[in-house]
Amino acid sequence: MHRRRFLTLTTGLLGAPSVLRAAEDDTLKLRALYAKDGGFSDLARDLEGKGLTVEGYMAPPLKADSTFFVLTKIPMSVCPFCETEAEWPDDILAVYTRRVYKVAPFNRRINVSGTLSLGSYRDPDTGFLSLVRIEQARYSYA
Amino acid sequence: MDEIYHALPNWAQDVLVTLGLLTPLLVVGLIVLRGFHVGPLLLGLLRRQVWISAVFTALIAVSVALGTGLIAQERGLRQGTARAADKFDLVIAAPGSEITAMLAAVYLQPSDLPLLDGATYAEIAAHPRVSLVAPLGFGDSWRDAPVVGTTAGFVDHLSEGLAAGRPFTAEDEAIAGARVALEIGDSFAPAHGVGDAAEHGAHGDFAYRVVGKMPMTGSPWDRALMVPIESVWSVHGLANGHGPDWDGDIGPPFSPAHFPGTPAALVRAESLGATYSLQAEFSTAQTMAFFPGSVLARLHALMGDIRQVMSVLAVITQVLVTAGVLAGLMMLTRLLARRLALLRALGAPRRFVFALTWSYAATLILTGAAIGLLLGIAASFAIAAAITARTDIVVAATLGWPEIHLVAGFVSLTGLLALLPAYLTMTRPVITDLRG
Amino acid sequence: MTGHAQKLEVSSLTVTGDGGRRLLCVDSLTIAAGSAVVVRGPSGAGKSTFLYALAGMIAPETGQIRWGETDIAPLPEPARAAFRRRNMGFVFQEHLVFEELSAPENAAIAALYSGRADRGRIRDRAAAELARLGLDGVGTRRSDTFSGGERQRIAVARALAGGPGIILADEPTASLDRDNADRLARDLVTLARTEGRTLIAVSHDPALHERADRLIDIVDGRLLEAADG
Repeated sequence: MHRRRFLTLTTGLLGAPSVLRAAEDDTLKLRALYAKDGGFSDLARDLEGKGLTVEGYMAPPLKADSTFFVLTKIPMSVCPFCETEAEWPDDILAVYTRRVYKVAPFNRRINVSGTLSLGSYRDPDTGFLSLVRIEQARYSYA
Repeated sequence: MDEIYHALPNWAQDVLVTLGLLTPLLVVGLIVLRGFHVGPLLLGLLRRQVWISAVFTALIAVSVALGTGLIAQERGLRQGTARAADKFDLVIAAPGSEITAMLAAVYLQPSDLPLLDGATYAEIAAHPRVSLVAPLGFGDSWRDAPVVGTTAGFVDHLSEGLAAGRPFTAEDEAIAGARVALEIGDSFAPAHGVGDAAEHGAHGDFAYRVVGKMPMTGSPWDRALMVPIESVWSVHGLANGHGPDWDGDIGPPFSPAHFPGTPAALVRAESLGATYSLQAEFSTAQTMAFFPGSVLARLHALMGDIRQVMSVLAVITQVLVTAGVLAGLMMLTRLLARRLALLRALGAPRRFVFALTWSYAATLILTGAAIGLLLGIAASFAIAAAITARTDIVVAATLGWPEIHLVAGFVSLTGLLALLPAYLTMTRPVITDLRG
Repeated sequence: MTGHAQKLEVSSLTVTGDGGRRLLCVDSLTIAAGSAVVVRGPSGAGKSTFLYALAGMIAPETGQIRWGETDIAPLPEPARAAFRRRNMGFVFQEHLVFEELSAPENAAIAALYSGRADRGRIRDRAAAELARLGLDGVGTRRSDTFSGGERQRIAVARALAGGPGIILADEPTASLDRDNADRLARDLVTLARTEGRTLIAVSHDPALHERADRLIDIVDGRLLEAADG
């Protein structure tokens, strides 16, 4: 966990210019990160390890006082999970924040900025697997 | 600028904010003290007014301790309650209050919950995306320890491996939490109910034997006794969850027809997505599914709001106390007027007298703030220990950046305020003061 | 840094107190560089006002106070303070010292607010003056452990530590016993004279009157020249 944090921390530092670049770009939609077949889009592969900003909604957190939440395309009350049987629906994203975050209302749109990380990763704390993450993240209300 | 700031690691951001908050004080200090050597006279002043200085410093310290203790305490409480709920991803109970159900299931607070029936429980247990489901049957107790009926799977999930002994395999076996005063091999008789209302002997001669001990979890479960859910049903004269063709092995699967009900069930899903979809799926007219983490986060937000209001009050207190101290300093400088006038008469620049008075005030403020910071942490250690003793939720008090930021801001603000009495001493009539 | 003795020329000087009351009126006065002058007069006659005006601690209403080439009367307070710091040493009536500081610290007090370059010199001079006044080897004892006479000698060392060309003294012997008063009077005049400083002291002490080059009487805010002492 610490090692991973350290790695993302250094990429965060080295990637500072790309963070600057991303800030100028438009905010991405969640779907832009996934290809039609459910894999990663070319854009996602391009942005891997770089800074980006994605818009969406914060799902109610599983844990209080944590640095992890799930970003969804539509507010949780509509429940994206009910619509699909897919193991990892293409409209959610795991977000690891750099600090303990304040919970946003599930119906407020937020912009999440951070470093994109692809590939499967099992959170040692929750035991859950994720495929796409934004790490070193922070969010603001859209 | 903003982007460069966000590219920094957290500690660097925190250091930067601290420095930013201290900058006004540092700049003022450098300008005020430039070219002067106030040390010996400052020390002389402190020695001469040692009691007044000590009282002023103590006042500042106590007011700062109030503010920092509050922040440290709230954070400790937040972290402690969150950690205690870590193992509870999803709880399903009969519809009612999520908060009541959370307090009962996660923090073992006695409460009266309606029951989930066997059919519903079987539906949850049979769901393909559920990896663990366990009934949580509260109600009985031994002395102050709640006796919770559940399954060995839950004990394993909660403890991540027992500290000693083995899981329960028979109805009269129990696992003790780390802080329960029972060791492996000890026996105890459960009482019906909890606390003063507990009916001793209501369950006849039935007694459990402790066969395993949990490691510390930092939660109220450290004070709990976990027993097979079958035994809880049995001692209440109910069916034991299994049909006539039961092989005698305790634990799941349960027979829906012979399942007397459970106030709550802990559910663990096989994936993150599944956890959310199970919550949605079991939010029905018959069941209430909720994330204790979300409920807790709402309470934390409320607690945070209250803390913010109290923080504002604490800051106002700090500023008022400091204003009082500065007013006291102005009176004190009247006592010192002759010495300051002597310096002026000897040819010391006005600015030197200004620097001397300001550095005296700044010394009291800085010392008071530093002591206050430590005092605040010490106080929150004491409160944390009291909370832990009462609730078994391990609350750790630590020195965090927010407290340092608060103190840095306070020191800067009051350091600037201290310019006022310093200015007033500078404008006093020299000859009048000199003649005493 | 050692200032040289400076000639004093005062002309058309008036000092007004609260409510417009005239405290001092000096038409013309010249004091030669390096002389020892004692000012005397009944209390309330304006002696101290005169001394403080010469020191630049009171801004006169009109007139000139010319020390050497510098007229300090029109200068703003910081400039007068700076002039005082560089050119004057002051000895007060009561042995005013900072009680919790040591004798060397008191004597070198100006080092605390003078330029970095001057600090070492002030400390060295302070130590030398203390030695000359018989207060060497007193170490770091707090000044409140010294007797009144010793404290006043510390104050004299303090007045001399900056190497001033002018020494002003306000009743320097008033709060001392006879022996100490005599000793201080002798020290003050000797130290001023041997180093060629201008000394102006307000005093009613005959021990100082005897030693003065010149006596000036002040009555009702006006100067009367007395017979040379």
